[in-house]
This record gives sequence, structure tokens and C-alpha cells, in this order.
Amino acid sequence: METVTGATTTGAVPPTQTTTVKEPAADPDSKIKTFHIDRWSPDEPSTKPRIQIYTLDPNRTGPMMLDALIRIKNEVDPTLTFRRSCREGICGSCAMNIDGAVSQPTPRQKARSNPLPHTYVVKDIVPDLTQFYKQYKSIKPYLQRSTPAPDGKEYRQSKEERKKLDGLYECILCACCSTSCPSYWWNSDEYLGPAVLMQSYRWLADSRDEHKEERKAQLDNSMSLYRCHTILNCSRTCPKGLNPGYAIAEIKKAMAF
Amino acid sequence: MARLSGLQRAVLALYRQCLRESRKKPENVQAHFKAFARREFEKSIGLDKKDFSAIEYLMRKGQRQLEIYASPGIKDIR
Repeated sequence: METVTGATTTGAVPPTQTTTVKEPAADPDSKIKTFHIDRWSPDEPSTKPRIQIYTLDPNRTGPMMLDALIRIKNEVDPTLTFRRSCREGICGSCAMNIDGAVSQPTPRQKARSNPLPHTYVVKDIVPDLTQFYKQYKSIKPYLQRSTPAPDGKEYRQSKEERKKLDGLYECILCACCSTSCPSYWWNSDEYLGPAVLMQSYRWLADSRDEHKEERKAQLDNSMSLYRCHTILNCSRTCPKGLNPGYAIAEIKKAMAF
Repeated sequence: MARLSGLQRAVLALYRQCLRESRKKPENVQAHFKAFARREFEKSIGLDKKDFSAIEYLMRKGQRQLEIYASPGIKDIR
């Protein structure tokens, strides 16, 4: 296990990786945070994954875990790899496992960072989401109609019908819910997972869509939908505050009639 | 050669799949695809046969690459 600290006094850090910011020496009152981050490189697939420890002074870093990761990458270890885009919790690129809780790295003072649970890892904390995207594609997440629009222009919808989509369309497909679901851990090849099922419900509930029966028929087997046992880790962990568990319950109701 | 283990058979099956997909490409570029597959497999030929995680990782990577290159739009590889 390697320890890379922000301070340059140890001499164990090679000159190319020394930090330009002088961190204060270990002071019992200072709140230097240590970060234990999972590391693994596909360039040497035979090496074992390991946890690397970094220390940072949180007073000089932004409040979010992502700020800390960016600072570590800029100053201490440029080889650290992670996905990120909006840095404000809206795009879902940086979704990861922090201190055991799956979420996006938004304001929290936590210190352990691991990839999304039960996913294959591309490098360090970057998960491989190709399975997830394939499942999303399989539910046909687009409007399907057999008849043209009644007035030839738009597919109209009342305010009440549009309201039914609130809480469903905001999903950013960050995969936090699916990767926090134990049922998805054990059956990810056949169970669709809460994120994909919620989107499936988003299209079922859309009054403009005309292929409800086909969509329901696609879910009518023992694995795609019914591996959900209402564990509800998904609703708990959603970084946007959505409720996939509720959406899945609505699908089950719709399937029952 | 002693009996092949399940993992060895899986690796060989992947290689055979790569060759089968190469045969579906136009005649003049088939050799390119076959050479590419051979090179990719030869890169990790020195791996210890007991290093399961590395082997499985490379197999997953190979499978993903195969899915991309097998699509009919890909006409040549250099």
C-alpha cells in the first residue's frame, strides 16, 4: 500500500509529482483529510487493485469530494482517473461509491472513494457501464406511435397527463440506483435495474405513446421486472431525489391488469 | 497437449469468433482483420495461465472490441 502525501518533506515522492502547494505539517488540531482511493490500471492487468492514500488540507480545497479528487490529480498524482463533467451534480458522470454510499461526489466530508459497486472497472474509479446502456436501449426509450397526430402537427397532451411524467423525466442515468440495488448486483445480466425500469415507466405513463402493450409484454417474464423485491436502496440513493422504487411499483400495478 | 481448461477454451473460442467475423468482411481486407486479432492476442501471450482476473479482463475487453469491429459499417482496419 503506497502512501502519497501532499507534503514534500518525505522525499519519497518523485520530483515530477511534487506539489506546488505547501501543505502544513501534521498538526493535531488541523483537519487534514485523508482519502483512500481505489486504484487499478488496465495497462498492467496482472497487478492487483490497491487502495492509495492521499492527504489534503480541506480548507484549501473546495467542499466537494470531486474538488478533492481534482486537486489530487492536479497536484499530487496525475495518473488518478475518474469521470467528471459538470462538477455540480447534474450530469451524473462522476457517480461513485463514497464511504459505502453510492452517489455523486457532492458536499460531504467523506474520505473513501470506490467505484460503483458490482461493476467492472475500466481504470481506477471509472466503471464500465456498457451493460447498463445496452439495457436502456433495449426498452426502446423513444416515443412509439402507430397513428399520426390528430391535428397533423403536434402530439398533444393535457397538463394532468404531463404532470404524470414529473419525477420520471429528470433521470440523468447516472446508474447510482441500479448499482446500489443488491438484486441488480446478483442478476445484472437479466434484471433491468431501477434506472432502466423507471425510464420504462416514463414511456408507459406517457399518454402520447401508443405501444403500451408491447412495452408491457417485454417486461412480462420472471427476470426483467420481477427481480425487484422493493429493497428501495434505489430511492434512498438517488442523487436527484427521484423515486425509482415507486415507479417500479406503478409498473407492477399496470402489469397486473 | 494436455486437456484445455475451460478458460483456455473460452479464449480460443473468442479468437475463433474474431476470425469468423473477419471472413464476413470484404475479401481484400480480411487479412487486415485477422492480423489485428492476432496482434491483440499476442500482446498478452506472456500472461500466467493462473492470472484469472487479468485474463477475464482482457477477454471482456476483446469481446467489446469484437462487437464494435463486427458491425457491418466497419470496412477496414489498419
